[in-house]
Amino acid sequence: MIGLVPGIVASVASSSGVSALGGAAKSAAASSVDGTSFSQVLDQLTTGVIDKVKSSEAASIAGVQGKASAQQVVDEIMSAERALQTAIAVRDKAVGAYQEISRMTI
Amino acid sequence: MDALEASMKISGAGLEAQSSRLRVVAENMANARSTGPVAGANPYVRKTVTFANELDRATGAELVHVGAVGVDRSPFRVEHDPGNPAADKNGNVKFPNVNILTEVADMREANRAYEANLQVMKQTRDLLTMTIDLLKGSQ
Repeated sequence: MIGLVPGIVASVASSSGVSALGGAAKSAAASSVDGTSFSQVLDQLTTGVIDKVKSSEAASIAGVQGKASAQQVVDEIMSAERALQTAIAVRDKAVGAYQEISRMTI
Repeated sequence: MDALEASMKISGAGLEAQSSRLRVVAENMANARSTGPVAGANPYVRKTVTFANELDRATGAELVHVGAVGVDRSPFRVEHDPGNPAADKNGNVKFPNVNILTEVADMREANRAYEANLQVMKQTRDLLTMTIDLLKGSQ
């Protein structure tokens, strides 16, 4: 049952192709072997997204200063938005699965 | 790299290429009546833009970029206007080889190409969002 959670993370990250999640997905898939904890998986997921959002903010500042074109700014922001949406969806799913397990009658 | 992400990158390059094309059209239009600085000097020369494909090593996608901004070698338009400061000793003035009709046609084509690339971007984003949304709402 525990193996299900990293499995979801890995399949979602590879199908949506969000590069920020790549690292998290790989280590999550390996977690059943080397024992990466649930919180570590979520941590890696958020760190990747935060990096992406930071780079999009840098791009919008460059856009305001006239150093980047409107197309580049929009592209960066949209890719950060996608990464964030994916992370939120994956988090909801993973937390849902975790709660499912914790509600299980023993 | 994911095919949909690659399409976003390719369309983005298309948008940038078409906007530089529009920039060249704007230059040509604005300078359609720019004469030379001294009597008998050559006026503004019409600029042309060419596109080239470029392989993006990170994604393996063929992007488009502006190859070269060249000049139109066709002859200048000569008008008889002795009062113009740029007129030569016969009273003839050389005006740029810019044809406004050609520029308008080029502008509309750039506009349509930009819209097409934008549409590809919209569709790609919708597909990506729909795929991510598969995870939601089934709790």
